[in-house]
Amino acid sequence: MFIEQLLNQGNAPVLESVIRFTAARHRLIAENIANVDTPDYRQKDLSVERFQSLLRSRLEMRRHSRPGAVRFDDLSVDVDNPTRGILFHDRNNRSMEQLATDLAKNAMMHNLAIELLRKQYQQMDMALRERIA
Amino acid sequence: MKAYPLATNNYQLATDKDMFDTLDISASALQAQRVRMDSVSLNIANINTTHDLKGRPNPYKRRFVEFLAGRPGDPSQPGVQARVKQDPSYREIYDAERRQYVRHPNIDLAIEMVNGIEASRAYEANVTAMEVTKAMMNASLRLLA
Repeated sequence: MFIEQLLNQGNAPVLESVIRFTAARHRLIAENIANVDTPDYRQKDLSVERFQSLLRSRLEMRRHSRPGAVRFDDLSVDVDNPTRGILFHDRNNRSMEQLATDLAKNAMMHNLAIELLRKQYQQMDMALRERIA
Repeated sequence: MKAYPLATNNYQLATDKDMFDTLDISASALQAQRVRMDSVSLNIANINTTHDLKGRPNPYKRRFVEFLAGRPGDPSQPGVQARVKQDPSYREIYDAERRQYVRHPNIDLAIEMVNGIEASRAYEANVTAMEVTKAMMNASLRLLA
């Protein structure tokens, strides 16, 4: 109970959501790359902006609620079919440049969230051990 | 448009089934591009094959690959699969020595080369996606250390 409350406060649940989001988005980007030559395939994506606004509203809710009352593990984002890019003759709207950029950006966001979460856990560990380093 | 749940419970992190599944998606694409490359190699190898194994005048039929969304064996899962098809058309080339038309496979070397390069580039892109997936999984696993 104590550990659960400890983990559900601060940035940890937010960072966990970001990690889950980037993992889910990475899956879709990998699927898009896999289907780069598939006729009729339309690219799929998860909107980062929509996820961030969802996260922001949850954070706002948490600010006015008792600790641990607002959870972040049930967030869901709709899969988009972005219409950006050229629609080729095989009716596939691939863009390798866009996919490569999204792949890199998403991986960096994932690694950033992981690092921040790791630091957070290290701090908790230090507090529990009652000693620095 | 369908809702994409990011998690079903509090303990599901980036190193769960989702990430392993991502590796399977890229692996299905590697397999599909390899099949495409096999067809290209076979076509180039048989560009002048005018007779079958029994020595009958039966030109080699050009192989080409059709990509379909969905994993091989389970099309409901995300991924890609390649289906090899044959092109029964042929070209008739006049053989001045035998004074008759000979049927040749309908293979254009330039098209085969372009297909080969496309397959190779797509293969590389999927290998990169797999490497990024592995790096992300490693980063997630570092949380345990």
